[in-house]
Amino acid sequence: MKTTFDKLKKSNLMGTFSIYFVLFALFLISMMANENFATVGNLSNISRQIAVGTILAFGQTILIINGMLDLSSGSVLALAGVLSVDAYLKTGSLLISFIVGIGVAVFCNILNGLMVTKFKTPPFIATLAMMAMARGAALLYTNGQNIYQIGDYIVFGQGSFIGIPNPVWFLIITMAITWYLLNHTTFGRSVYAIGGNEEAANASGINVNKIKMRSYIINGIFVGLAGIIFMSRVNGGLPNGAGGYEFKALTAAVIGGTSFSGGVGTASGTLAGAFIVGFLDNIMVLVGVNSYLQQIVRGAIIALAVIYDIYFKTTRKKLKASKG
Amino acid sequence: MKKVLALLLVLMLAVGMLAGCSTPSAETTEAAAETTAAAGGESDGTYRVAYIARAQADSFAAWLANAVMEEAAKYDDITVDVFDGQANDDTENALIENAITNKYDAIIVQPNNGEAQRPYVEKAVAAGIVTITTNARISGIEGASSVDADPYLQAKVNADAAVEQIPQGANVVVLKGPPGNFHADARRESWENEFFAKRPDVKIVGEEIANWNKDEAMNYMETWVQANDKIDAIIAMNDNMAAGALEVIKDNPNFANILSYGVDGTAEAVLLIKDGKMTSTSLQSAYALAEALLSTSHKLLTGEETQIDIDIDCPLITIDNVDEFIEMHKKAGAIQ
Amino acid sequence: MNHEVKLKVLNIEKSFPGVKALDKIEFSVRKGTVHVLCGENGAGKSTLMKIINGIYQPDSGQILIDGVEVKIKNPIQAREHGIAMIFQELNYIPEMTIEESLFVGNWPKDRFGKVDWPEIRRRTLALLKAENLDYKPDMKLKDLTVSDIQMLEILKAISYQSDIIIMDEPTSAITNKEVEVLFKKIFELKARGAAIIYISHKMDEIFRIADDITVFRDGKVIDSKPKEALDIETVIALMVGRKLGNDFPKVEVPIGEPIMKITALNGEKFKDVHFEVKKGEIVGFAGLMGAGRTEVMRAIFGLDPIHSGEIAINGKPVKIKKVKDSIDQKVVMLSEDRRRYGILPVRSVRENISITNLSRFIKKGRLHSKEEIETVKYYCDKMKVKTPTYETNIASLSGGNQQKVLLAKWLITDPEVFIVDEPTRGIDVGAKYEIYKLISDLVIEGKSVIMVSSELPELIGMCDRIYVMAKGEIMGVLTKEDFTQENIMRLATGTKQNH
Repeated sequence: MKTTFDKLKKSNLMGTFSIYFVLFALFLISMMANENFATVGNLSNISRQIAVGTILAFGQTILIINGMLDLSSGSVLALAGVLSVDAYLKTGSLLISFIVGIGVAVFCNILNGLMVTKFKTPPFIATLAMMAMARGAALLYTNGQNIYQIGDYIVFGQGSFIGIPNPVWFLIITMAITWYLLNHTTFGRSVYAIGGNEEAANASGINVNKIKMRSYIINGIFVGLAGIIFMSRVNGGLPNGAGGYEFKALTAAVIGGTSFSGGVGTASGTLAGAFIVGFLDNIMVLVGVNSYLQQIVRGAIIALAVIYDIYFKTTRKKLKASKG
Repeated sequence: MKKVLALLLVLMLAVGMLAGCSTPSAETTEAAAETTAAAGGESDGTYRVAYIARAQADSFAAWLANAVMEEAAKYDDITVDVFDGQANDDTENALIENAITNKYDAIIVQPNNGEAQRPYVEKAVAAGIVTITTNARISGIEGASSVDADPYLQAKVNADAAVEQIPQGANVVVLKGPPGNFHADARRESWENEFFAKRPDVKIVGEEIANWNKDEAMNYMETWVQANDKIDAIIAMNDNMAAGALEVIKDNPNFANILSYGVDGTAEAVLLIKDGKMTSTSLQSAYALAEALLSTSHKLLTGEETQIDIDIDCPLITIDNVDEFIEMHKKAGAIQ
Repeated sequence: MNHEVKLKVLNIEKSFPGVKALDKIEFSVRKGTVHVLCGENGAGKSTLMKIINGIYQPDSGQILIDGVEVKIKNPIQAREHGIAMIFQELNYIPEMTIEESLFVGNWPKDRFGKVDWPEIRRRTLALLKAENLDYKPDMKLKDLTVSDIQMLEILKAISYQSDIIIMDEPTSAITNKEVEVLFKKIFELKARGAAIIYISHKMDEIFRIADDITVFRDGKVIDSKPKEALDIETVIALMVGRKLGNDFPKVEVPIGEPIMKITALNGEKFKDVHFEVKKGEIVGFAGLMGAGRTEVMRAIFGLDPIHSGEIAINGKPVKIKKVKDSIDQKVVMLSEDRRRYGILPVRSVRENISITNLSRFIKKGRLHSKEEIETVKYYCDKMKVKTPTYETNIASLSGGNQQKVLLAKWLITDPEVFIVDEPTRGIDVGAKYEIYKLISDLVIEGKSVIMVSSELPELIGMCDRIYVMAKGEIMGVLTKEDFTQENIMRLATGTKQNH
């Protein structure tokens, strides 16, 4: 009995902290590989560059812990961003454009949530459908053309406040919100419970559908914010923008320890996962790694992360089966 | 639930209002399963033309499709139906076959992948239908016509200027389009032969694939700026990517004199050229292509000519001549 | 007719981790007879049948068919030896047709090696005609009733020319009329010389159909006699006749007013249920498989819908539509299937305990983790939960400790009525005692407990009153004076109490 517990304790710790170890190791290796890596400017760039994807990843984290996911974030981000930009051009008000951006993304995610809770659609299918619908809507609205000359709208993604770029501020804020929700609210505990065992959570008095719906709404707020930052950063309303960003978000979440079997995941882990990908992309460009090789490396990292995760899951499952 | 519904209604109203205020768009139709085939075209005086776009999602392809529709409105005897190939060879080939079955008088094909569409275009020719390929043309099909802008040339006009403009011993960065894309490859080849081969003193300090995308180009440029104190020119295979790179350094005094080159002549690019921020681009005018396509179609349909191959111009746009192109975009509503 | 012994098992032993399922079993069945096996849940009958059918391997012992020892390593070998088993939970593929299912795995092939469908059709029609069954060969299984599918299973056994047929609680899911059809078939099979082993706990059926009866208890064969030598009372006594220990820590506690009253409750698997629970009482619910006890409790707790009826707490009727409603009424339930409805497997012990009462620790906008840990510590100490830390993943705890954690999680809500369903299932003896003590402590504090259990000794040792259910109805209620295993079993096997 004692040895099993000891082994487990070790593996649990390994599971929780190894991601930061990898991050640190990657940082060191990159620092040695190129003199420009560890500069303030470069690190600040990386933070800005990963901001959009990481904000999406926080939404995904909450959803995945819950046993769901969102394949539509890139498309909804584009729709929300484009409508937000246009709202600014038509009203001249940054506030209104901000609200529109968030509102559109929340609306799409309410639809996602309804499909999943009321109509019992598997989240994969529901959000896949939304992915196509949102993209189509964005293209329809703009006739497939980019919206230019967006004036002061760029402040969201290109401005800064006391020296720190705005996207990084938004990143910090969403990280804090996610951390707070997961650790200091009954909502967060319920999310973990549902992910751990939905039937047991239900039998413990948790309103599963209400929590799932709320998860999608929170995701919607994050996606809307990401859309505003994205369009603002690229200085245009691009209906085709952010294609594939949902997978970037999933990657960061998974590498950060969020498990697809549910019930496991943290805000800081996801942030670490996002930085790992960010560091990797950055150092490969600095060093001049061949573009095609870069893609292979990115894919390999995901495979490694998932294998690692499943390996530790199996250990846990095996123990679960032999007891009780 | 009640709160959720109320929120839903408000948002729907908001979206509705915004959608209502958007610029009026040209009608596009999706591929129809069955369309009643009109018997020939001459009997009621209208020629039916099928325009098969490679992808509505690609902003240039969308621009071209819209331009074709607008140009077609000027002809009383031509109606155009637009079909979306969705950037997929199977889909596009099926659309060509459908158009043949539905007895269109003319079929214009904007290929996704020339060689994949070749046999189907040949079928259209064999069926006696007026067949035109465009952007990029599929060459060597007996009996088919073509209207195109030459991507090699589009890059060349920039490269020729760059040979004179880029300083000795310069550091440059290169932004490429999607791998395996005909336009991306042709333009890069042109730069290689017309610039890099003639200027061996120039050093490429960074070259990445940014997939025509502005945000990807931005990310790469940010990293390059970190690693290099001196970058003298941005060589991009399209305007989006050039604009993305410029966005990164727009407020950076160290790069105030950087040169930059793109292709397409988008509204954003001409404004940047006017502001002195971008050096030059070459126009790939969807309007010119559309004009040429419709006039070619008309000539072939009325029997005035039996086979035409045209290349539209790709004029170099610099600060000296940028105003006329700004006018062009203003007239089309792309610039306010 | 020759009634020689067809199948004999000698000295069969089988153990699973922590429990001896079969202890020196000797048992035989003769050709052309029906041999009934009866016993409580978990007595070992199903385990023995699974060994004969090749699903389990015995730890030791022999199986003899026609006097010759055989080794049965898997169900295919069992089939080759002429053994056919008709399971309690029918395994079938709804989209399959009758002819497909009859010949699955045993397809006749034509000379090219392809499956010979015309031959299958021919044989199916012949079989159906011979057995007077009114089905078409291309009917899908999903369109048949449970009884029909059972018939088909028997038909399959006949088509394989099985002469040892095992039926495990075959009448649990069919109507009385269909039971008659089944019995007719069984008599036919008997006449043809088949040796039939029939598992059941329904006394009236047993005495109609049996030639011989064997009673199992706690993994042992208690007795084996021809039907004529037995009667219902004797069989019941044999089923439960163990010595009752006195090791239950139940303390006498004053019983108060009724706290919960259930009137005319109807649900999907139960009907017309009436009972009440008083303050300080431990009320037991006994019954055999399929009696409906868990279903009643799930409905009261809000997990399953109630068709009609009333639940009253402290005299006032309440509406229970979901679990939270029940918890708000201070009625909680410890599920019988803790792996499915109880534990949150990837979360820690601490989180599993606090999940039902989060507002106690998450208030004023933040988590008061010190309070949480103190409360968790209090309950873990009180329940003597053995865990390395409170952050340990609950899945790594032993069954007994998991159960204690789950008890803690409900105690934390300060319930008035605590329903426990099979509270000591799968738990070692030491932990069992601790759980009994905890239940006893609860009622000392004036709470009430409803204990659903299949273990008669624990019901008799802990409860103040015992309701007995069978076939979805309450058969009767026993008070302490009448607590005997025989009384409980009599009601549980379907004889309604005459008062």
